[in-house]
Amino acid sequence: MSLSSPEQLRRLAAALKEEIAPEVGDEYPRTQAFMASVILQRVAREVELADEHRDAEVSEVRALAEELTPVLRDAPPEVRLALEGLDTPNVLSLRALIPALYGWGADEPAAQTALARIRDVLRADIDRRMEIAT
Amino acid sequence: MTTVDALLAAYLSHQLGAKSVRIENLKQISVGWSHETWLFDAVWEGPTGVESRGLCLRRDPGNALLREMSDLAQQFRVLKCLEDTDVPAPVAHWFEPDSELLGAPAIIMDRVPGECPSPWRRAGREYYAGAAERGVLPRSFTDALVAIHTVDWRGAGLDFLGVPGDGDGFAIREIDTWERLIEESGHPGHPILDDLIGHLRANAPVTPELTLVHGAFRTGNVLIDDDRVSAVLDWELQVIGDPMYDVAYMLTELNREGTDLLSNVVPRELFFERYQEGTGIEIDEARCSYFQLLYAMRSAAFWMSAAGLYADGRNTDLRLARTEWSVTVALERAATELGY
Repeated sequence: MSLSSPEQLRRLAAALKEEIAPEVGDEYPRTQAFMASVILQRVAREVELADEHRDAEVSEVRALAEELTPVLRDAPPEVRLALEGLDTPNVLSLRALIPALYGWGADEPAAQTALARIRDVLRADIDRRMEIAT
Repeated sequence: MTTVDALLAAYLSHQLGAKSVRIENLKQISVGWSHETWLFDAVWEGPTGVESRGLCLRRDPGNALLREMSDLAQQFRVLKCLEDTDVPAPVAHWFEPDSELLGAPAIIMDRVPGECPSPWRRAGREYYAGAAERGVLPRSFTDALVAIHTVDWRGAGLDFLGVPGDGDGFAIREIDTWERLIEESGHPGHPILDDLIGHLRANAPVTPELTLVHGAFRTGNVLIDDDRVSAVLDWELQVIGDPMYDVAYMLTELNREGTDLLSNVVPRELFFERYQEGTGIEIDEARCSYFQLLYAMRSAAFWMSAAGLYADGRNTDLRLARTEWSVTVALERAATELGY
């Protein structure tokens, strides 16, 4: 029987927290041992959820790109160029599109529509990240 | 390696013109996040006998959260400017830029009596709840902010901090500052932060009056002696700017640990009444809401900077490694405050 990577990391985290850190006398290294335990737990969760999160992200960003293409058909060239960046289907590829939309104008209805839809995707993304962070 | 007490003894012997200075009761009180802080007694033979003075050493090891924005020379100058004002602050004696002499650039200032309970720990929360009941600290804490916001900053020479442009100049300058820290952090960023920055730039408020702004005025950043603020500490983020920037920090839920008391100690009504009466400045809650969003950006910038310091090997403290996930928490808060 072999352990999965997340389980291996979780057991290391538990050993650090319950067996190693309490035996460390000095405050600084003891805190470091506890911190290492916390970090290993988070990394374990990240590894465990990586495939599921990546699939969701790819699917949501692809759907967003399809929806935004007609919405932003008449947008300025810099916005349309930034939209093309969504060919790489990950959330970070939205980093160019958002400033371009703000640059186009906060009062522009199509920009507002696009931002609202983008925010749905960002909310889903940050919720997934929070599953690991907290 | 020369120990801190040996460095201090040699340095103070020179500064005080004393043959030999003994360093007693040396104690480091904080590590990691920002500057190192050491408390000690300097004891020496003076012309009339043995003299002693309680002092505080603050050193910049060069790996602080604020990176090059962390400027001890500026902090020293601010403290000197505040000496003849009503702002309770430590008296600073020496700024030493030469790392050879004290191990890092450093300030030596008076050790002010008082304690600084952490509002993030249970004992601290109980301390502030008790002080709120007794009623003296809420007034003293508010009065300290009033003193900061009513100081004649031009007269005190604080305009060296930089005076923002008219209109929305202050808010835009702050956004620029924190955007710079984000860039320096090397963090890949996140589109929520781009959204937040776009929103902040598009909605930057006009600042009707400029005051000295502390930038992090909360319990945990002030010393308290006998239920009164004996010194405002952490002069790292001060600017000339919009007083609502500090007021927003008072009002934010981020600085309350499950209590309605502002900054864990001041009843809201008391704060509004006493602050407005003391400063003559009307609290503008709309501007405060804007600045709370700006604090979400600043928090993200801090955590990105911290995570970056660990990632690039400048700081090996694992507490900084953990802040990678604090970035996520700050972004989630920003998304919520932006309404999604």
